[in-house]
Amino acid sequence: MGEAIVITSGKGGVGKTTTTANLGTALALQGKKVCLIDTDIGLRNLDVILGLENRIIYDLVDVLEGRCKVHQALVKDKRFEDMLYLLPAAQTTDKNAINPEQMKELVTELKKDYDFVIIDCPAGIEQGYKNAVAGADRAIVVTTPEISAVRDADRIIGLLELEENMEPPKLIINRIRQHLMKAGEALDINEITTHLSIDLLGIVADDESVISSSNRGEPVVMNPANPAAMGYRNIARRLLGESVPLMTMDKQNTGMFSKIKAIFAK
Amino acid sequence: MKNLVYIRGTKEGLVLQLEDQCAYTDMLNELKAKVSDSALDGSAEVQLHLGYRYCTEAQYKEIVATIQNNSHLRVAKMRSDVISVEESNKRIQERQSETYVGIVRSGQIVKAEGDLVVVGDVNPSGRVVAGGNIYVLGRLKGIAHAGANGNREAVIAASWLEATHLMIDDLIETMTDELSVLSEQPEMECAYIHSNSQNIVIDRLQELRFIRPQISTFKGGS
Repeated sequence: MGEAIVITSGKGGVGKTTTTANLGTALALQGKKVCLIDTDIGLRNLDVILGLENRIIYDLVDVLEGRCKVHQALVKDKRFEDMLYLLPAAQTTDKNAINPEQMKELVTELKKDYDFVIIDCPAGIEQGYKNAVAGADRAIVVTTPEISAVRDADRIIGLLELEENMEPPKLIINRIRQHLMKAGEALDINEITTHLSIDLLGIVADDESVISSSNRGEPVVMNPANPAAMGYRNIARRLLGESVPLMTMDKQNTGMFSKIKAIFAK
Repeated sequence: MKNLVYIRGTKEGLVLQLEDQCAYTDMLNELKAKVSDSALDGSAEVQLHLGYRYCTEAQYKEIVATIQNNSHLRVAKMRSDVISVEESNKRIQERQSETYVGIVRSGQIVKAEGDLVVVGDVNPSGRVVAGGNIYVLGRLKGIAHAGANGNREAVIAASWLEATHLMIDDLIETMTDELSVLSEQPEMECAYIHSNSQNIVIDRLQELRFIRPQISTFKGGS
């Protein structure tokens, strides 16, 4: 029996879908069988980020309304053997097309065959959120070091804590820009975790290649040298129960110039 | 026949004592007859003693109307020895202190009839409402409304007072820069309605024992 995790944030644009794609990929790379569900009906994105858009035949609504079997709608990502599958959202209808009971049933069904069922939640706290959260065993809240994202995360955590049969939510701080944090322009990690007072699952650096790799349909986590990818890989390992220390955000200065500067600094 | 309405003169003025064991209508009729008596011609203030009779709001108004329409008397005070169970429970609740352990997050409301103790933070856009006082053992960064049922003596105390809005009874204070500067630092503070200016002011928590000594219910000690 696998585990169902919902990735949520309240605010839009903080990186829920990117996090879902990358965590799913990282877990698949670790040898876990993963199913990703996009619940952002009407505004689906997860398929695009994974580069699976042109392989969709059926979608979530087709499954829930009985027009096809679950396995017919699941899109296999051929890059990861038999490890990563996507259940895409419908694009032609809206969030009211499905209800939480249906989602619960579907997720329970999928948990039998997969180690991880990762649910990508839409922004907001309305029907789409309720659908996404319904079948989940635990939740991961994604936020960025911006006050508006932290406010919305606070609201979402409040709602998640009211859910029965759900473990306390965990936090991912995404899109961290070290120079802003150091200058005190952005909220720092400590400030965010004390404010929200939930466990920190991991941090992810803001990196331009996240955008370019998403545009290519390749999750950034596939490139192990990338700083954002390291963040996602660490989070995946923590989900598997390993204890991985929080990575330091300081850029290591290995260039010639900085070495010379270091000598003079002594 | 037994007298259903006694009129007594006391130090504090005239007292109308109404018999509590007879029918309400009988008592009302006799009251009407007595106050209409020409002997009670002068205008005076009277006190109404209802004894163990429970009167509804409508009945109470009817009694007062009967007196004031048929004489020059004016009802200054009413005394009753009974209250309903409902009212009694409400009073007990208002005096009780309720404790909430946890974080009041954005969009959440925690309400109490009496005093409210929050062990944890109140985050921005989180709201705590109490009929009595509010004590926050943590950071109050949201909205606090004390004395919500009309208690202007209520206070808001917090180990860290950084609220966006403070409300006591019907007064509201948005924490502008001016107020934050006045309070210098947010640690261990309390807010209350100042008796002269009728504004919400903030002071050090240590001053609370002089500002509202009645909050302390502790007796004894050495």
